[in-house]
Amino acid sequence: MLTLPQFRGYLPIEMATDQHPQSGRRQHFHRGRRGQERRGDRRPSTAPQTQEQGKADQPDVDQIVKDIKARIAQRHGIDLSAQQIQELAARRLEAILDPRTVKPGLLDQLRKAAGAPADIAPAAPADAYTFEDHTIYDTHNGLLRFLRKLLAPVLKLFFNPNPIAAALNAQVRVNREASRREAERERTQAEWNALHYTVLQRLVTEVSRVSLEMQSLSLRVESLATRADFAERRIRGLEAPPAAPPMPARTFDTPATPAGPARQPSDIGTSTGTGTGTGTSEASEGRRRRRRRRGRRGNLPGSDAAGAGAPTTQTSGDLADGDEEAFDDGPESDGPEADDSTRSSLSAPAPGAPEPAAEASFADTSPGPASFAAIESEREPEKALRFEPLPAAEPVPADPPQADPAPPTSEPSDR
Amino acid sequence: MKLAVVVQRYAADIGGGSELHARYIAEHLAAHAEVRVLTTCARDYVTWKNEYPAGETTVHGIPVERFAVARERDPRDFARRSSLVFDETHAVADELAWLDSQGPVSPGLIDRVRRASADSDFVILFSLRYHTAFHGARAAAAKAVLVPTTERDPALGLEMFGPVLRGVRAIMYNSPEERALIETLHGNRGVPGVTVGVGSQIPEETDPSRAAAAFGLDRPYVLYVGRIDVNKGCAELFDYFTQYAGRSDRPLDLVLIGTPVLPIPEHPSIRYLGYVSDQDKYDVLAGAEALVMPSYFESLSMVLLEAWAIGVPVLANGRCDVLAGQCLRSNGGLFYTNGREFEAMLDTLLDNPALADELGENGRAFYEAHYEWPVIERTYLDMFERLAAGEPVERMEPLPGWLAARARTARPGAAVVDAAPRGPVRESGKRDTA
Repeated sequence: MLTLPQFRGYLPIEMATDQHPQSGRRQHFHRGRRGQERRGDRRPSTAPQTQEQGKADQPDVDQIVKDIKARIAQRHGIDLSAQQIQELAARRLEAILDPRTVKPGLLDQLRKAAGAPADIAPAAPADAYTFEDHTIYDTHNGLLRFLRKLLAPVLKLFFNPNPIAAALNAQVRVNREASRREAERERTQAEWNALHYTVLQRLVTEVSRVSLEMQSLSLRVESLATRADFAERRIRGLEAPPAAPPMPARTFDTPATPAGPARQPSDIGTSTGTGTGTGTSEASEGRRRRRRRRGRRGNLPGSDAAGAGAPTTQTSGDLADGDEEAFDDGPESDGPEADDSTRSSLSAPAPGAPEPAAEASFADTSPGPASFAAIESEREPEKALRFEPLPAAEPVPADPPQADPAPPTSEPSDR
Repeated sequence: MKLAVVVQRYAADIGGGSELHARYIAEHLAAHAEVRVLTTCARDYVTWKNEYPAGETTVHGIPVERFAVARERDPRDFARRSSLVFDETHAVADELAWLDSQGPVSPGLIDRVRRASADSDFVILFSLRYHTAFHGARAAAAKAVLVPTTERDPALGLEMFGPVLRGVRAIMYNSPEERALIETLHGNRGVPGVTVGVGSQIPEETDPSRAAAAFGLDRPYVLYVGRIDVNKGCAELFDYFTQYAGRSDRPLDLVLIGTPVLPIPEHPSIRYLGYVSDQDKYDVLAGAEALVMPSYFESLSMVLLEAWAIGVPVLANGRCDVLAGQCLRSNGGLFYTNGREFEAMLDTLLDNPALADELGENGRAFYEAHYEWPVIERTYLDMFERLAAGEPVERMEPLPGWLAARARTARPGAAVVDAAPRGPVRESGKRDTA
C-alpha cells in the first residue's frame, strides 16, 4: 500500500520528455502488448519482491484521491455546490427576517407567491344581480306576481320606483368596479411581493456566495502574505553579506571564517610579512594582536551587525586604516565599541613605545596560529559558526570574559 | 447440462451492455453446456420494433429462438407511467402497467420460457427491468438464475421486483455495489448469489501506433468509449474537458468512440472517431493516456474492464458507486466528483506516468484475477453445481390480487432508491451469502 509520502514522491517525477517530442506522451508501442514486455522500458524494476513488499509499493487510490481532494480544498477553500449555497442563503434569509416583526407564515406565503404565477381573477360581487323596474314585483308565486302586476299602476300613483332601481343598479356597477380594482391591486401586490422575494432571495444567495468567496480569498491573501513575508526575509538574508569583508590587516590569526581549517605554520611568515608597516615591529605585533581580538570580536554578533550594515565600513575602515580605535586594546570584557574608542585615547600606548617583554616573548613562544585557531574553535564553537546579521544600531552586549589565547600576562601590561 | 439464456435482444451486432453481456456468457458457457438463447425479434431498444425474423437461427454457433414483440413502445405512455411510478405514490398495478409499457412484451417468448424450464437445467435471465426477465423469471422460477444488471435507477425501487428478486434460484451480480443495493432494497439475502460480472474479448496484441496513424492521433489523448449521451455523463464530460483545455496549456485531446446521441461540441481538442471496429477500439484504447468514464449509473462498465485488461488507467465518475468501488478495489484508476477534481485527477495521471503505469498494471491484475473468462466460467459453473446439488424450491411470491394490486400504497421508486445507502463497497473479492 502506497502511503501518502510515497504518493507525494510520485509528484516530482519528471518524464523523459526530451526523448519524445510529445510532452508526457507514453511510448505507444509498449502499450497493449500483454505480457512482461508490455511496458518495456517504463516497467519498474523486475527484482523479485515479497508479497508484502509488493503490497507496500502499491498505490492506494483511496489515499491519492483523498490527498488530491484535500489539496483542492486547501487551494479553493470550501467547495459548495449551487444547491448548498441556496440552502445556506435560505437559512440566512430566515435569520435576516426578524420573527418579532414578520408575521409567522409570511415567508411561506412569499415563497409560494414567488413560485406560483400571480393569477388572481377579479372576484364577482356577492349579490351580483341586476335591479330592473320589475324586480320589486318578482316572486315565484304566479298568482301573486299577477296581482302585483295588476296593482302596480296603483302603487305608482303614490311614488316612482324607477330612481330606486337606477340607484341600486348604479351601486351594483360601483361594487363590481371596486371588486375588479381590488383584485387587480391584489394581483399587482402579489407580483410585487414575488418580485421582492425573488430579488431578496437572489441577493442573499449572492451575498452568501460572495462571503464564501471572500473567506476563501482572505485565506489565500493570508497565505500569500505569509509567503511574501518569508520571501522578503529570505531576500534580505541573501542580500546581506554572510560575513565581514576581508580585512587586509589580518595577518596571522583567525580569518573571517573561524571555523575554517587551521593555518599551517608556514603561513605565519607570509602573514607577518604582510603587516601594516606602521611603527616598530613590537608595535606592529601589538596592533596585530589587537586586530586579532577585534577580528575575533567581529565574529561576534555585535560585529556581525557591523558587517551587515553601515558599521561594516567603519569596522573595515578601522582595521584597514589602522586608526586609533583599531589599536584599542581594552579588556575583552569591556562594553560596547563606543566605550572602547573612548578608552583607547586614554590607554593606547604611545607610538613607538616598546611592547612588554612578556608579550614579545609570547609572540615568540606562542604555539602558533594553528594552535590558536584550534583553541578558539574549541572554546567558542558557537561564535565561530555564527553568521547572522544583527541590526547595526543595536549596542554590542557586554562581552563575557573571553578566553584570550594570549597569556594573562598581557592584560596588565595594556593597562 | 442444458441452459436457456433469455434476453430482450440478441444479435452479433448489438453492442448494448446487457445484450453483449448475455452473448458473451452464452458463447463461453457453450463450451461447458448445451446453450440455447431465447429472445425477441427486436433490434431497437427504444421502439422494440420487430426487425429480425421470428424463428430459430444461429449466432456465432449458438442456437437462437426469436419471438415477435406484441406491440411497440409508446414513448409518451411510457414517460407518463414512468413519472407516476417513480415520483408518486402508486399501486402495484401501476408498476405492472409501467412494465408492459416499457416492454418488450412477447407472450410467445414467455410461453417458451415456461416450456424451457421443463427441458433445461437452468434458465439464465438478463436485465431485471425488462418485461422478458420479469415474467420469464416468474414463468421459470424454479430454475431461474437472474443476472439483474441493475444500476442505481428508480426502477429498482419498484415493489413488484421484490418477489422476483426473492423468488429466483440464484442471482449473478455484476458488482458488490449492485448486490448491496438490491439486498438492502428487497431483502433477498437468503437467495444464493455471487458477484461475478463479465469478461471481455481482449485481443492478444494491440497496435496503438497503427491507430494513431489511421486516425491522426498525433497528440496525447484521453478516451471515452460508449454511447455519447447525457445519461452517460457526456455533457458533463464535455463541460469539464473544455474548461480544462482552456485552462491548461498541455497538449491533450479527448477522443470519442461510440454512437452520438448528444451533439458533440466543436472544439479543437475534442476528436470524434465514430463507430470503429473492435480492433481499432482496442488499438486506440491502448494508446490512450487514460480512459474516461463519466457515467453516473453503471452496473458494471465493460469498457472500464477492457481498459484495465490492456493496462490503461481510468478516470471515472466518483458519483457512480460502482465505478468508484471498482477503482478502489482494483487500485486501477482515479475518480472525480466535480470539475476541479476532474482537472486535478487528470493532471495527476498525466504528470505522473509512473503512477499511471502502476494504476494500469493494477487494473490489469484486477481484471485477470476477477474477470478473465476462466474465472467467470468457473463461477457460473460452481453456482450451477451448487444449485443442482439442492432441491429446487418454489419461492416465488404470487402477484397481488385485483384489489391489493390497486391499493395505492407503493412509495415512489425514486424515493425508495434515494433512501438506500450510497457509496462504494471497499472489500474486494466475491461475497457469497448463501
